[in-house]
Amino acid sequence: MKHLFLGLNLLLSFILSAQQTHSIRGTIKDSNNGETLLGATVFIKGTSIGTVTNEYGFYSITAPQGQYILTISYIGYQTLSESIYLEKDETLNFELTEQSTSLEEVVIIAEETEQISIKTPEMSVSKLNASTIKQMPAVMGEVDVLKSIQLLPGVTNNGEGSSGFNVRGGAVDQNLVLLDEAIIYNTSHFFGFFSVFNTDAIKDIKLYKGDIPAKYGGRVSSVLDVRQKDGNSKNFVLTGGMGLISSRLAVEGPILKDKGSFLVAGRSSYAHLFMKASEDFKDDKLSFYDLNLKTNYELNKNNRIYLSGYFGRDVFNLSNFIQNTYGNATGNIRWNHIFNDKLFSNLSLIYSKYDYQIILDFVKMDWIANIINYNLKYDFKYYLNDKIQLDFGASGIGYNLNPGEISPTSETSSINYLKLDQNRAIECALYINAEHNINEKLSLQYGLRQSQFSRFGGQNIASYVNNKPVVYNSKLGIYEKGVISDETFYEKTERIKTYNTFEPRLGLSYQFNPRSSVKASYTKSAQYLHLLSNTVSVTPLDVWTPSGTYIKPQISNQFAIGYYKNFTDNNYSLELESYYKTINNRIDYIDGANLIGNNNIENEILNGEARAYGLEVLFRKNKGTFTGWLAYTLSKSEQRTLGGQAGGPGINKGLWYNTPQDRTHDISATGSYKLNSKWTFNSNLVFQTGRPVTYPNGQYTYEDLSIAVYSNRNENRLPSYHRLDISANYIPNKKTETKWKGEWVFGIYNIYNRQNAASIAFRQNNETGLNEASRLSIFGIIPSVTYNFKF
Amino acid sequence: MKLFIKSTVILLTGFLLFACEDIIEVEVPTGKKRLVIEASLDWEKGTTGSNQTIKLRTSTPYFNIDTNTNVTGASVKVSNTRTNDIFIFSDQNNGSYTTTSFVPVIGDTYQLEVIYNNETYTAVETLTAVPAIKSISQSTKGGLDDELLEVNIYFDDPPTEGNNYMTRYHETGDLFPYFYTFPDEFTNGNEMLDFYEKLDNPDNNQTPFQTGDIVYINLYGISEQYYNFMNLLINQYYNGGNPFSVVAAEIKGNCINVTTPENYAFGYFRVTEVVKTNYTFQ
Repeated sequence: MKHLFLGLNLLLSFILSAQQTHSIRGTIKDSNNGETLLGATVFIKGTSIGTVTNEYGFYSITAPQGQYILTISYIGYQTLSESIYLEKDETLNFELTEQSTSLEEVVIIAEETEQISIKTPEMSVSKLNASTIKQMPAVMGEVDVLKSIQLLPGVTNNGEGSSGFNVRGGAVDQNLVLLDEAIIYNTSHFFGFFSVFNTDAIKDIKLYKGDIPAKYGGRVSSVLDVRQKDGNSKNFVLTGGMGLISSRLAVEGPILKDKGSFLVAGRSSYAHLFMKASEDFKDDKLSFYDLNLKTNYELNKNNRIYLSGYFGRDVFNLSNFIQNTYGNATGNIRWNHIFNDKLFSNLSLIYSKYDYQIILDFVKMDWIANIINYNLKYDFKYYLNDKIQLDFGASGIGYNLNPGEISPTSETSSINYLKLDQNRAIECALYINAEHNINEKLSLQYGLRQSQFSRFGGQNIASYVNNKPVVYNSKLGIYEKGVISDETFYEKTERIKTYNTFEPRLGLSYQFNPRSSVKASYTKSAQYLHLLSNTVSVTPLDVWTPSGTYIKPQISNQFAIGYYKNFTDNNYSLELESYYKTINNRIDYIDGANLIGNNNIENEILNGEARAYGLEVLFRKNKGTFTGWLAYTLSKSEQRTLGGQAGGPGINKGLWYNTPQDRTHDISATGSYKLNSKWTFNSNLVFQTGRPVTYPNGQYTYEDLSIAVYSNRNENRLPSYHRLDISANYIPNKKTETKWKGEWVFGIYNIYNRQNAASIAFRQNNETGLNEASRLSIFGIIPSVTYNFKF
Repeated sequence: MKLFIKSTVILLTGFLLFACEDIIEVEVPTGKKRLVIEASLDWEKGTTGSNQTIKLRTSTPYFNIDTNTNVTGASVKVSNTRTNDIFIFSDQNNGSYTTTSFVPVIGDTYQLEVIYNNETYTAVETLTAVPAIKSISQSTKGGLDDELLEVNIYFDDPPTEGNNYMTRYHETGDLFPYFYTFPDEFTNGNEMLDFYEKLDNPDNNQTPFQTGDIVYINLYGISEQYYNFMNLLINQYYNGGNPFSVVAAEIKGNCINVTTPENYAFGYFRVTEVVKTNYTFQ
């Protein structure tokens, strides 16, 4: 807290030194559909005065009285120039027109846009907009945000069909995934094959791999900020599509005399309909659906209300022996209020829930688990002067975690009712961040975040003999449960444990010339929730657990430096970044850890540490009929868990070992070639070092079975992963008299049918009795066809 | 936990709707050769339990399996730590060491001592009781697939908590038995059910049960430590390397080398009570 006030003081001194000026504020929108544009650039020509629009399309700039040319630009849109005479504070709203898609007018990226990305201290950020994502070839034609970002440097996942994604060697649970500010706990459908984001409902995604702004917190590796569309405020539009896996339909339009707009988007898989028709699968069901909702209403010039929601569900039934459903649900009400020309604010109340249920018919058992959180946050943006912009605010998140409740499903079941202890916690944070242009060359970003996590009662907490929840049995060389000496009951209002973390964030950018710059950043962040998973890939059934008496928050420190350059009239750009990251208190699991249905998770875990470092290269071609990028990452990600208080050498003999997300080399090339107004061709080429795995180094016979001996963890690797995908988009002749616009997407995933190993299982053949290695590969060559329409 | 081993299989089934499996050549590392002690003193209910065998072997590389791994020339004995009775197991020169004078007592603790290559290995275990099997039945509606036959066994779990069980099913003609371990964690004091059903899996030469098939069934009462050992062992044996499996690790048993601790042995010294029966599908 002390640091925060210090920071405030520092900033106040800047405020006092500000000179007398006027400001211009307003909102930038798409002229076609009225969607606000996030990250659009507003610049005063011939000066260094400029800004980018915030998450709500709002901007504010300040300049001395005078005659100016205002330039407004956004990637993929025609740049707008407006002559103004500034003599008082003004509100100026602008609408930009999308570049025509015909050949002659190829996308021109405004100089200012590039200039600002060279100039601002913001680094380690990956941005993709929905139209780029939609162009990329996708498995079974199912366009997927999470798969697209893996084509950028520093982002991987644990292989096809594994949930989530990994950023800079971090684990899946270390990513903060936000959909319209609501936390998404599981990003996958079909156990990881597809993501929960329906691209028809998405406007913009931004992934912070490092240099995380002070307004975000709670996860140590990355922030994926996904924003839903507001809905077309000019016309009623129907968009949709049909693919092999799912169908989509979205309706959007203006409401209440153009004062607002709405969007309703739905998506559903339909494999289960075919399964019903098939004799073999008629009792099985494998399906997912999701629903995105958004509406906003402008009360007056200074006030706007947004409502948004998401509801998604997976259903997986196998002929009466298992019924499994899981999904996220979120809701968010927001109030944008503009206090004055310089002060913008947003107040949000957000609800988020992830739950799953499994009914196992063969043991007549019903299992339910969920995590619910309420989040109240108030964010401000203050456009102090032409040099300084401030972001500050506060947030409070209340968590209620139900790690499991089991009950018998019938009278004859042998299952006893059991409800694991409910976990309650509150996470609060205060933050302030300044973006400060020191001079033409140097820009700084400095922020502070103070977070506090309090674990509340309503449950028993065990104490252990010698204060050891895990004990090393030195005779047998294994870790075992500690012995409970006492149990203390805490009331719901009583704090069990409180953690405070001071999280500084720093960034700087030094511009050599308008085309090149260097940047450096430092980020410290804390994570208070942990996903319990000791399996190779995380599953939808893994439960989250809060920090508390025995589990400490994960703390990460990340340093990054980068070099950025634009070439030949901004036709090409090069980004080079290097990072070093350490994470303390990464939990690790003792051999044979029992994580499900366990009230005393502290018996199964030890506190470890992780580190990751790497070099990322991104070379892009931004303009012309051929666009695309080449991304290369060289990296290392390791972890180590010593015995510590429990004694003994630790997990894996206390040695550093590769994390499952360690990839030495990761290369992706993505290209898009526009042949003419009807045809566009796209391709992806991916090459990655194989995932670290543990192979057996011996075997012995026990109980007539050949038992594999496994040695040091993750010392071996799966074969390298590579594949090539292509797709072609075809837009039939447009009939000018109809509003109907159609588009066909033909794709082939993994065109040379590489059998990439998702895993290799070592087993004994039932017929010969000999040991064998069985490779599981998920997607071979897969052709697909998708039809998209807009009406 | 038992149920979740099965749900792993189920998750994998969903997974396999998209996937394909094939056998490939893989180069694997070669680790240290170790002594393997399979000392399973199982007292069958209703017998004297006096005949017991302990097997000693060595470990081998994973693929290039040495055919003769039998260990001869070791000295093997078991003692009852309460009565101090000593049972000498004599070398049969084929890796087996036998006795005809073992005296099993429920709740007594036994100590194993093996001397091999001038190194001494010891292990300690307590004889764990098992309830009788109340009934056996066959059905199709139970189990995982409601069209395939399974055999069900029923027994009563005692009211005290912390009982652990192991079942071994072996169909006549099959190369390998099938093992399963489970605690009474969620079912304490209730009537317990375990079933064995063979799914149709041509990839691994497995066919469902048919009328006339005979399956041999053993139900063991086991210690918590043996449950932990065996649970890990069979989990890795059946799921080793699949994407939803637990990260593989070396499994350590209870046989320690007191002469050179880093030369610990694989395997386990278990002392259990067992019920054996068989069932013929109708």
